[in-house]
Amino acid sequence: MTADGFFDALLAMLIVSLACGALYSRSLYRAVVFFIALGLSLALVWARLSAPDLALAEAAIGAGLTGVLLLSALKHQAAEPLRPMRPSFQLLMAVLTGVTFLLVLTTVWSMPAGMAQVGQLALNSVNDSGVEHPITAVLLNFRAWDTLLELLVVVLALLGVRQLKLPNDRLPVAWPLLLAWSKLLAPLSLLLGVYLLWRGADAPGGAFQAGALIGSGLLMLKLVGLAPTTPWSHWGIRLLVLLGSFTFLLVAMATDVFGAGWLTYPPGWNKALILLIEVAATASIALSLAMLAGSDHRELNQ
Amino acid sequence: MSWALLSLASPLLAALLALMIRHGADRIVLGATLISLIAAVLALASINGEQPVSLNLGGWEQPLAIRLELGHLSALLMILTGTLHLLVGLYNRVSDHGTSSRSDYWPLSALMHAVLLALWLSRDLFNWFVTLELLSLAAVAMVTLSGPKAYAAALHYLMLSLMASLFYLLGIALLYGQEGVLDINQLAQQLTDTPITRLSLLLMTLGLMMKAALWPLYLWLPDAHANAPTAVSALLSSLVVKGPVFILWMILWHLAPAPFAEQLGLVLALFGGVALLAGAWSAMTTPYLKTLVAYSTVAQLGYVLIALGLSLRWQALELATALWLFIIAHALAKVSAFLAAGEMQGTYGRKELTVVKGATLTMPVAMFAFAIAGGSLIGLPPSGGFLAKWILLQPMFTSPAHWPWAFTILAGTLASAAYVFRVVSLSFDQPDITPGSLTQNLPAQWLSLLPALLVWGLALLSHPLLLWLSRGAVV
Amino acid sequence: MTDVQLFVGLGLLLWLLGLHAVMTHRHTIHRLIAINVSGSGVFLVMVSLASRGEGVDPVMQALVVTGLVVAVCATAFALRLGSARQQSHDEAESPS
Repeated sequence: MTADGFFDALLAMLIVSLACGALYSRSLYRAVVFFIALGLSLALVWARLSAPDLALAEAAIGAGLTGVLLLSALKHQAAEPLRPMRPSFQLLMAVLTGVTFLLVLTTVWSMPAGMAQVGQLALNSVNDSGVEHPITAVLLNFRAWDTLLELLVVVLALLGVRQLKLPNDRLPVAWPLLLAWSKLLAPLSLLLGVYLLWRGADAPGGAFQAGALIGSGLLMLKLVGLAPTTPWSHWGIRLLVLLGSFTFLLVAMATDVFGAGWLTYPPGWNKALILLIEVAATASIALSLAMLAGSDHRELNQ
Repeated sequence: MSWALLSLASPLLAALLALMIRHGADRIVLGATLISLIAAVLALASINGEQPVSLNLGGWEQPLAIRLELGHLSALLMILTGTLHLLVGLYNRVSDHGTSSRSDYWPLSALMHAVLLALWLSRDLFNWFVTLELLSLAAVAMVTLSGPKAYAAALHYLMLSLMASLFYLLGIALLYGQEGVLDINQLAQQLTDTPITRLSLLLMTLGLMMKAALWPLYLWLPDAHANAPTAVSALLSSLVVKGPVFILWMILWHLAPAPFAEQLGLVLALFGGVALLAGAWSAMTTPYLKTLVAYSTVAQLGYVLIALGLSLRWQALELATALWLFIIAHALAKVSAFLAAGEMQGTYGRKELTVVKGATLTMPVAMFAFAIAGGSLIGLPPSGGFLAKWILLQPMFTSPAHWPWAFTILAGTLASAAYVFRVVSLSFDQPDITPGSLTQNLPAQWLSLLPALLVWGLALLSHPLLLWLSRGAVV
Repeated sequence: MTDVQLFVGLGLLLWLLGLHAVMTHRHTIHRLIAINVSGSGVFLVMVSLASRGEGVDPVMQALVVTGLVVAVCATAFALRLGSARQQSHDEAESPS
């Protein structure tokens, strides 16, 4: 077995055990910690599978945002008792899962090798896209419509939270682990986020990763009480949350009315337009994610 | 195509503007809905001949670009979406039992409108995934508008819908891994019958069935639809569950290899038969009015499943026409039924079924709306529901081997008649209250009657409608 | 067995483990963790499939980036919804 193969197998075993820890721990707190560790080791896998963009996104989202979210949600839900299902049901489910796994695995084993057709096309067309990094080219040019809708997902999730009658108490400031974690990571992730956005055009990085990183930085600052309040009732905050969607939609409409078609960037303009959309999207994603996870009732509803 | 894009862009822009400006959100959104509806009608008119119009977004060549396609079916669904959003929006503004003006009902419903249009126009597997996510998030957010009593149902809905998305996404990943393209036409041309093809289609089918609340994966629907504000219930039952059905029909009709389609079609049609009876049974036994209407959706989706399954099994295109006619007729009738039920529940102030006692005397307009909407749900001639059922029955008369299906549909019809008459007969009882003691809102009641009248009017339009649907079904 | 096959298998395993845990747990946070583990499994399958050829398939990786953002938004919404439900539940239990 090669050194790479050995490392892979070790990583796979680590991930399976962390996943089992996250899924089957009796204590919710431990499950959350296992889950965060799982996110970090998945980032290693992405790096191993030559997906640095995803490694960054996973680290920012999986370990940063989702971790903080889960830890703060624990505070509210500690009272809900854990009621396990009946053992016979669990056994039935385990058998079903095992059988399905074998069936699916043997089916997928016959997957043909080689690069996907569209993937190859995307690689060949990168030079005409206005950016050098292929993933940025896919997200903001070839499949820009997906990305426009994706920005609406972020807006919608925030709108959803805004409709809720949320608990009135502040976020769990008193959680010592969270506090230490936040103080350490907040400035780091803010810096890294801005850096990622800046170099996203020609290297791994880009709006989503940058937005996620800055967002988790903001969220942590909110948790330690260092961030300014971001009330939804202030027009500037709403504008910033909606900026990405607005910019993207206006570009799409403008290219349709004055140009060659919906989201077809005119030649020579593509780099500038992509950059414009990326900056706007990063700002919106960062603020929306931070508010989505960390804003209290007063900030959202008044 | 530009009309279709205008129709798509206007509710989207309106949603963002309404969030930004906040004052007069209702007027902004209603205006944009009207523009979108007119543009959708013009889009239908702009389709020359039988060929649909394609647009490769971004100007890239085919397998790389996301493709939008405007055909007769998509255009009709766009018009349906626009009409219902306009009617429900007007109802919500007029009614005393609408959503609170402090909530984000208007931007949310405009976003939902835009997302549905994006879904009808898209022909790309992954783009459909994003629209499905948007649709679920919008739907859950709108369910929570009715306050803490709906949170448990909303959470249940959201979690199930997340699981469903993962099934659908894994299906896409495997199919893309094998074929390397995401566009449905490209896939249809090059797909071969391999175990991976079957597995991925199965995964997508499961995910979409959960999202569309098709039997037996419907358990989240009655709670979520019954607990939402009335305007939202109407949109959820009439439009939101139809989004995944559209995608399901697209992928199975275009991608499923013939032997696999026959097997899967049989299973789906059998599920449909059970759904007809099980949904109707729950509707007949529930003590609550809106829950009854919600269970009726489960039952009516049974017809959709039967039409879908049998069109796959017999490779019968005319059944696809029946499928879409069902969806249009059900959407119109269900909006009426929910708005009338919600208006009665709000006016009488209780949610039990017994509130309709004597409603023919105390709230005649709303009760009339409910009754004639129910008539279309049962399939009384010459309503839209009857038309759909008639087309569905045609191929079943041809061979005795198909008679059990005809019998199932007959049983379903009787069952739906039973739960509709359960409400109607109660409404003829002597009322416990005098009409004068109620604060009636007549415009809201008349609005609830309008879609029911439309569904009965479908008969007048049946010739062009059937022509368009049969063309739309091919491509 | 190549590294791609190993990670595809690992992804499928995570997907199913998550699925199993969703069905056998009742607690909201437990279920959401399970859904996220399940999602990571699907993403792992996608990324492994993206790295089969000579280069890396940017389309598949871009789909995963999109998928990750959808997942985090939906999870955040679900967690907030869960705590809001918990609070309304608590208030209903102890009317003070």
